[in-house]
Amino acid sequence: MSEKNLHIKENKIDSSVSLGGLNLKNPVMTASGTFGYGLEFTPFMDLASLGAIIVKGLSLKPRCGNPAPRIAETPCGMLNAIGLQNIGVDAFISDKLPLLADIDTHVIANIFGETVEQYCEVARRLEDCETVKAVEINISCPNVKRGGIVFGVDPVEAAKVVSTVKKSVKRLHVMTKLSPNVTDIKVMVRAVEEAGTDSISLINTLSGMAVDVEKRSPRLGTVTGGLSGPAIRPVALKMLWEAAGVAAVPLIGVGGITTTRDALEFIIAGAAAVQVGTASFMDPSASQSVAHGIDDYLKRHSMTLSELRGSLSTP
Amino acid sequence: MKAFSRATVLYNRESECGARRLGLKLKADGLRPGHFFMLRSPNTIDPLLSRPLGLYRVLDAAGEVLPVKRQSPFSGEGIEFLYNVVGRGTTLLSEKQPGDELQLLGPLGNGFPLPQDLGTDKAIMVGGGMGIVPFYLMAALLKDGLFLFGARGAADAALAEDFSGLPCRVEVSTEDGSVGAKGLVTALLARELTPDSLVYACGPPAMLKAVAAMAASAGARSYVSLEKTMACGIGVCLGCAVKIKAEHAGARGQLKMVCSEGPVFDSVTIDWDDIC
Repeated sequence: MSEKNLHIKENKIDSSVSLGGLNLKNPVMTASGTFGYGLEFTPFMDLASLGAIIVKGLSLKPRCGNPAPRIAETPCGMLNAIGLQNIGVDAFISDKLPLLADIDTHVIANIFGETVEQYCEVARRLEDCETVKAVEINISCPNVKRGGIVFGVDPVEAAKVVSTVKKSVKRLHVMTKLSPNVTDIKVMVRAVEEAGTDSISLINTLSGMAVDVEKRSPRLGTVTGGLSGPAIRPVALKMLWEAAGVAAVPLIGVGGITTTRDALEFIIAGAAAVQVGTASFMDPSASQSVAHGIDDYLKRHSMTLSELRGSLSTP
Repeated sequence: MKAFSRATVLYNRESECGARRLGLKLKADGLRPGHFFMLRSPNTIDPLLSRPLGLYRVLDAAGEVLPVKRQSPFSGEGIEFLYNVVGRGTTLLSEKQPGDELQLLGPLGNGFPLPQDLGTDKAIMVGGGMGIVPFYLMAALLKDGLFLFGARGAADAALAEDFSGLPCRVEVSTEDGSVGAKGLVTALLARELTPDSLVYACGPPAMLKAVAAMAASAGARSYVSLEKTMACGIGVCLGCAVKIKAEHAGARGQLKMVCSEGPVFDSVTIDWDDIC
């Protein structure tokens, strides 16, 4: 046991969490696409204060993403249509990963493919990188023409991606990120769970749109995009709670979490862990504040994280 | 050193020209012409995003504008921004009173390359409207500076008086001809441009595009400060992508981020057809 964990034990705060074999020092992660490759945040916070960082979605080949404008502000939220711009898995492994090796937190790689085979190949290349502890399968990006959401709204296709990725890795924990753009989230939860996912994160962005009425043109270059930020939090929370009713694997709540109180809502509703996303754009140290805030809450209520999880008392 | 911090409003007043001057108490160093900060109101989620504002001047502890010195980077006990109220974010910003707090992320961006680093101490600065902002500090670094300021009318043009104590010549053009030359600022540039000119420009996209084309055809170097909608300011949201020309593309392709790889770019690298 590290000195740090010992210290936590002595103070009787146990905010560590095990996500089906993936042990995190606390339940706070950063959501993919809102935290770059992690290093951008080192001037503003201590990455070691987090349970894990989830880096920007990686594809087999570099992707240049969508035309401008790519973001538009909406009430308490923002639309984005970045289109999974990324440096590609190989450049990530050679250029970024070595810089993350010494950081005292887990690195989780969000992965994306246009075909099932591409998802697997990205995962296989990360399998040999010890710094990466898990992959988060992105079957929920609404901003790409092929792949992504195509897999995320069809339980059969989703299961196919998950089971094939799961079979192509041994060491890596497999987390699957679900889209909210479905009729019944429980169907998707069951499908990816049966396909063998080790954990489930939800939700990705909600499909959305905004119009510039003076120009009578869409405010995004791709017309539609994905809505994130506090505006989507109640929707995410309801879906997490529904998922918790049927899921056996650990759930990671994502969607508009900005403050400690927001994160606690998800944990009380059944999340084993949470991801802080768009809030990092507003305050680059938001995730660290949430992690510290959860510790304070547990101390104040003399509770462990596992006691808190799913403790919602419903009428 | 870039940081996320709280700063107290020293003043936030409308100037004679309509633009607002916002002075903040903030110990800052490493400041360069062309740097910007992301500003937001604490504890609000609507508007969600911080607003990027360019650094205008550096203040002392009493909130007075520091006299300029020919030495970069700059440091001070406060900073000043100049902004126009254009939308909801800047309207809310305009309502901040002395003593109120703002959250700031910065200084951000690359800033203009310094003339000294480019082997000269003379340059032509071209500013359109709020594009005046980076050139107060830049003018301080030049021995032989020329500032060409394009304004809409007499009210806007009054901003040029801020430059009166600086070691630089100022020429003004207004669209209505009420002050200085009538017409666009690019007409002033046409008179001054030579192959060995170093041009710095900040202003509306169409002005920057024109300046870039003029400098290129004269064989002169030019650097432009671009503006794009951005969420994070530190290169992670990837919202403020700008397209660069294929021949200047690196291993990462043809996109660069205005916030973290800019906002200042060598104008020959920009794919101007993609801008406007």
